[in-house]
Amino acid sequence: MAFINLQNVTYKYPLTKTPVLQNINLQINEGEFVAVIGPNGAGKSTLCYTLAGFVPHFFKGEISGTVEVAGMESSKSTLDEWVLNVGLAFQNPFNQISGAKYTVFEEIAFGLENTGVPRDEMKTRVEEALKLTDISNLADRSPYSLSGGQQQRVALTSILVMQPKLLVLDEPTSQMDPIGTREVFGVIRKMAEDGMTVVMVEHKVEWIANFADRVIALKDGQILLEGKPSEVLTSDVLAENGFGISRYTSTAREAKKQGLWKKENLPVTLDEAVEGFSNW
Amino acid sequence: MHERLSFYIKRNSVIHHLNPLTKLTLVLALILIAFTSPWYWTPHLLVLIAIIPLSFLGKVAPEFFKTALRLILPAAGFLFLMQAFFQPVGETVIFKFYFLDMTQESLMFAFRNATRVIVMVSAFTFLLLTTHPSELMSDLTRRGLPGQFAYVIISTLQILPQMQAKAQTIISAQRSRGLDTESSFIRRMGSLTPLIGPLVFGSLAEVEERAIAIEARGFTSKKVKTSLHEIPDPSSDKLIRWVLIILVIISIALKLWLS
Amino acid sequence: MKIQIDNLRFTYPTGLEALRGISLTIEAGEQVAIVGQNGAGKTTLVRHFNGLLQPTVGSVLIGDWDTKKYPVAKLASRVGYVFQNPDEQLFSKDVGTEIRFGPRNLGYSKEKIDGLVKRALALTELSDKTETNPYDLSPTWRKMVALASVIAMDTPIVIFDEPTTGQDAPSITRIAHVIAELRREGKTVITITHDIDFCAENFERVIALSEGQVLLDGAAIDVFGQDEILAQTYVEPPQLTRLGKRLGLKETVRNQEEFLNALKR
Repeated sequence: MAFINLQNVTYKYPLTKTPVLQNINLQINEGEFVAVIGPNGAGKSTLCYTLAGFVPHFFKGEISGTVEVAGMESSKSTLDEWVLNVGLAFQNPFNQISGAKYTVFEEIAFGLENTGVPRDEMKTRVEEALKLTDISNLADRSPYSLSGGQQQRVALTSILVMQPKLLVLDEPTSQMDPIGTREVFGVIRKMAEDGMTVVMVEHKVEWIANFADRVIALKDGQILLEGKPSEVLTSDVLAENGFGISRYTSTAREAKKQGLWKKENLPVTLDEAVEGFSNW
Repeated sequence: MHERLSFYIKRNSVIHHLNPLTKLTLVLALILIAFTSPWYWTPHLLVLIAIIPLSFLGKVAPEFFKTALRLILPAAGFLFLMQAFFQPVGETVIFKFYFLDMTQESLMFAFRNATRVIVMVSAFTFLLLTTHPSELMSDLTRRGLPGQFAYVIISTLQILPQMQAKAQTIISAQRSRGLDTESSFIRRMGSLTPLIGPLVFGSLAEVEERAIAIEARGFTSKKVKTSLHEIPDPSSDKLIRWVLIILVIISIALKLWLS
Repeated sequence: MKIQIDNLRFTYPTGLEALRGISLTIEAGEQVAIVGQNGAGKTTLVRHFNGLLQPTVGSVLIGDWDTKKYPVAKLASRVGYVFQNPDEQLFSKDVGTEIRFGPRNLGYSKEKIDGLVKRALALTELSDKTETNPYDLSPTWRKMVALASVIAMDTPIVIFDEPTTGQDAPSITRIAHVIAELRREGKTVITITHDIDFCAENFERVIALSEGQVLLDGAAIDVFGQDEILAQTYVEPPQLTRLGKRLGLKETVRNQEEFLNALKR
């Protein structure tokens, strides 16, 4: 059975009239790196909260259908059990700082303290996690003194250190500069190769194409398209529905009309674009 | 950007190595003795022979005196003047200011009360300077203080400077929209709404996100919590605490017996 | 209205020297993007343009006004500033009132304010939302309200701090449209951005900052051609510029049109 299994999931927040997720069916295998794209209001964050257990356990509201992750079923589990298997990091890094810790090192240890990890193991795991995301140099700084991009790395590290089976990320690189973004995508890719399952909401199409195994395009609470990055991200449907697309794709689409792009498939990444246009 | 958000100063001193609970007991004992001791000069003596030497022992004397000058003395001075003038006790008028009388008795009374307040505030300042807040909380949690309670206290300590920084940004944003915050008092009162609105709304949204963030890190996990820092509690610490408790009991007993 | 910055240095009270000798002139009606890694001093620089920060050394002139001699509330009539996070700015019970706030502070007549608010609403596609409470809108639309509330002040200079962060494709298109309209009206637009493709499509002049100094300053096309220098401040050239370079095109290209034209030659 799939590692993540959503069957006919429909969900409505307590104070809204229309459902935010409508009849979602989704299966994801262990170790897959799945990117979720979509315009604002598509239900991306709600999908993240559902996978992470906060819908419905934290937000309440009405949910129907079944949500299964790592052998747990949402309706039969509590949130504190759920978070032991599923890690969540989201966009605003400032609000993810616990506020109870005075250094980055302590901040990252916070989750391990809560879940009763012995002290020696805790120290080793924090040190390894700091190395992994390349922020060892920030270990003694106050989390509040960091820039937005650095705080996002701390938020991500605070979750990675807990070694969840499923990592749910909602725009984790929005405040990072391009080089920082690429590094973080590399780290996440490596985690997936080591067996962690990753679901990540992201606007940066070029990096999704370079790193993700599968893309889910969400619109108005429904799955519009699903498949390999090279297929989904070049689909005509995306541009027509307010999705962000790579400049390589849009330019090649125009070039194709003018007879300057000869290949059947459109490019998403720089390498694909270089290959296609050099043959011209 | 604030790099240092708590009062805590990391130094290597005897005081820093004490168990946080011992330091908390010390502070509470100083305050209780200052308030209950039947001898008039006890609070003054405590400042001179206990709190000031302790700040040297803890290697935080410069910071201690700086805080005292800026915060504690002005507040205590104000309290002293209020009580000296408005306390309706005593006959021996030694100073007259229009309709206000200051008697020798009210002066003595005010002096002691102001010193008691100095003991209270400076003892806590001493505690904050020499004790890592999260260590104090971890230690208290380990001894049975509910984790949620500890979290509320410690996060409030950190979030206040953050609120201040945020208020500053909001003021900048509104000044950029032509809001005059530099002129008359009346205009400034009128300009409060544009400042408070974003602060309150923003904070509500933040509270929800922060709750999710700490929950995602197992905050309400039913597992027995561990702590990153080892907080030693040798028998010398236990002994100090017992001595302090006995001193407090003696002070209270003397007060009851003598009155 | 011209902006003249002469040997500007700025040190924060913490001792951090954020700007280390910047001299720039921005002519009336220019469209300027400021790029550079986190901590390069971008926000610190633009906060000098409306007096929120005062130079430690050097001077900033907005037209004939020295920012040291005018309060922020007065400079607001010349420089509009859209903050990065709309939630730090919005407070009114409805969108209409929110947008009136700025022009009212500047003391314009009622007729002028009505006209400016109407235009700002139309530009940001908010005309059907005037009665809505800004906090009932999604973050994307709140950003539009923040934009509209500054545009309505009708200042000759408008500054945007990271306008596209967290915005989806339709919203980015709307922001680009607003900038194009401001350009048509002859206003100076200064934008801080990490989104280099957005920068390539909407700005003629690019200033790259690094560690409080100007690393590169010039026509976008010349700046993007210097990818090795840009890398020093963690900026990569736009996607199509990189593609053109990999394909060995002779000239530097910025956007689709330039790329396809170069390819045909």
